[in-house]
Amino acid sequence: MKEPLINATHLNGGYGQRLVLHDINLHILPNTITAILGTSGCGKTTLLKHLIGLLPPMEGTVRFLGEDLFQSDEKELNRLRNKMGVLFQNGALLNSLPVSENLAIPFEQHTNLPREMIEQLVRQKLHLVGLSSAYDLLPSQLSGGMRKRAALARAIALDPLILFADEPNAGLDPVTAKSLDQLLLSLKVRLNITVVLVTHEIISIKRIAEHVIYLHEGRILFDGSLSAALNSTIEPVQNFFTSD
Amino acid sequence: MSEYHLLLPEQLTLSNVAEEYALLRQDIRKARNGDTIILDCGRLHLLDSAGVAMLDQFNSLCQQRELRLIEEHCSADIGKIKELFHFSAPTSKKHAPRPSFFERLGQRGYALLGHLSEGLFLISNIFYWAIVSFFNKRLRRQGEVIRQSLQIGLNALPIIGLIAFLIGFILALQSAVQLRQFGANIYVADLVAVAMVSEMGPLITAIMVAGRSGSSIAAEIATMKVSEELDALQVMGIDPLPYLMVPKFYALLLTLPLLTVLANVIGILGGMIIGVTYLNIEIIPFYHEVISVLRYKDIMIFLVKSITFSAIILFTAAYFGLKAEGGAEGVGRVTTSAVVASIFWVIVADSILGLIFYFVEPVF
Repeated sequence: MKEPLINATHLNGGYGQRLVLHDINLHILPNTITAILGTSGCGKTTLLKHLIGLLPPMEGTVRFLGEDLFQSDEKELNRLRNKMGVLFQNGALLNSLPVSENLAIPFEQHTNLPREMIEQLVRQKLHLVGLSSAYDLLPSQLSGGMRKRAALARAIALDPLILFADEPNAGLDPVTAKSLDQLLLSLKVRLNITVVLVTHEIISIKRIAEHVIYLHEGRILFDGSLSAALNSTIEPVQNFFTSD
Repeated sequence: MSEYHLLLPEQLTLSNVAEEYALLRQDIRKARNGDTIILDCGRLHLLDSAGVAMLDQFNSLCQQRELRLIEEHCSADIGKIKELFHFSAPTSKKHAPRPSFFERLGQRGYALLGHLSEGLFLISNIFYWAIVSFFNKRLRRQGEVIRQSLQIGLNALPIIGLIAFLIGFILALQSAVQLRQFGANIYVADLVAVAMVSEMGPLITAIMVAGRSGSSIAAEIATMKVSEELDALQVMGIDPLPYLMVPKFYALLLTLPLLTVLANVIGILGGMIIGVTYLNIEIIPFYHEVISVLRYKDIMIFLVKSITFSAIILFTAAYFGLKAEGGAEGVGRVTTSAVVASIFWVIVADSILGLIFYFVEPVF
């Protein structure tokens, strides 16, 4: 059996004194697409923030490549974060910088590559997500789907081992959503990237997810394969998948 | 024709491409046009996107220098990764010819004319809606003028009071040194009163309000513009100008003169403290001197200035707010522009009004 990339054990988490997640135990295996799903307000995004090391847990541990994210010092945490890519819900591109500069940030901050090679890498990543023409554009000049693609290109800039995507298809039309799903799938197949999706888009889940974690009121109600989730007799899970 | 045989390392990844690229460049330093470079990938078994970018970059470099590049002994796996990430940069685009000096001058002039006409259109629109709203109750939002007045006026009281006090205090202190030499201590009161009422009071208050409330109005309108709230109002059949700008306009017209009165009084008080403590002038004579020197014209000057400055602050904030584009960065940019422009126009208007009132006696 493969070693999990991410391991969360007895994780209690939330904001300040407000407990959102209760006793979460999960592991993410390499080269899989895992969908964390559930209805709005169930704690999906909070869980994502714990998994990427943005929000320290109240109790429990989150391990990435066997190392506890929240016991690591700043330098170590940044080294681990370089192996993660995160696609935020609204892209989170820096609006004051053109797309090319947005993509160049990770290379400028974490490598000593010469300028011309950074430029080559930026063009390469944009080409990979089908956005070569957006090189000089500002994020405000991009459509929602293009912004997501540009943010995805930035997320995979340093060839991460794992890619987290928070509601990647939110606000996108079905055609753009499908093409983004296919892009995520091809990244997984071609680059061996592990993908963790936080979503409640059933079509998208059925299209690309292999593993499903269902959250309900801050607790994991289901953790298994997509086919098992589709045939689950657990009522909220059943309701979720039959609601489309 | 020479041949250069270069052996690639076992891995070409983000961690070592910078050094490897520098070495490759070093190796072909002496190569001449038409020479052949053979890249031996025999040992290479670990390649990532940065490695492919480096190979692509090296390829472009060889093309530029007219060197023949041959890659050999590449394994199938390495070939697949290269194929996946390979991207040849487009040949440099032909740039449009740079416009001439006269073309640029024309473009600037045309743009300036555009800004001017847009500004005039906005000003006339706000004036129109301010008059219409005054008579049409339905166009007014209940309690909005009061709310805006409190926000613009009441909350600005402490800072404007403090600044006015310091200005009056410093004015008196600086002039006292000179006037004392001539035994004209009492004229400190005249100087502070006239300077505060006809010049410093209105100007300082307007600059403070432009920085404090003008920026907040510009940022509010700009945020509403970029988040499509203004579009939402329009599709609901609500014109954003009477709905958003007119209450702020009334509030500014109401509060700026009142704040200026306060600034004048506190500024004169600041001067009085110097007069009493440093120049040994009694409070009552100081007060009588202030009252005697202030004429009807000075009061009119500060009123006209305050009302003009209110309009300038509002128009500038509205103009720049409505011009916002993009996201947060666009909001920040127009807010800065609004503050800078309103302070500039306030000072310009102050100079023009100062000149006018120097030669002309108000008729009303």
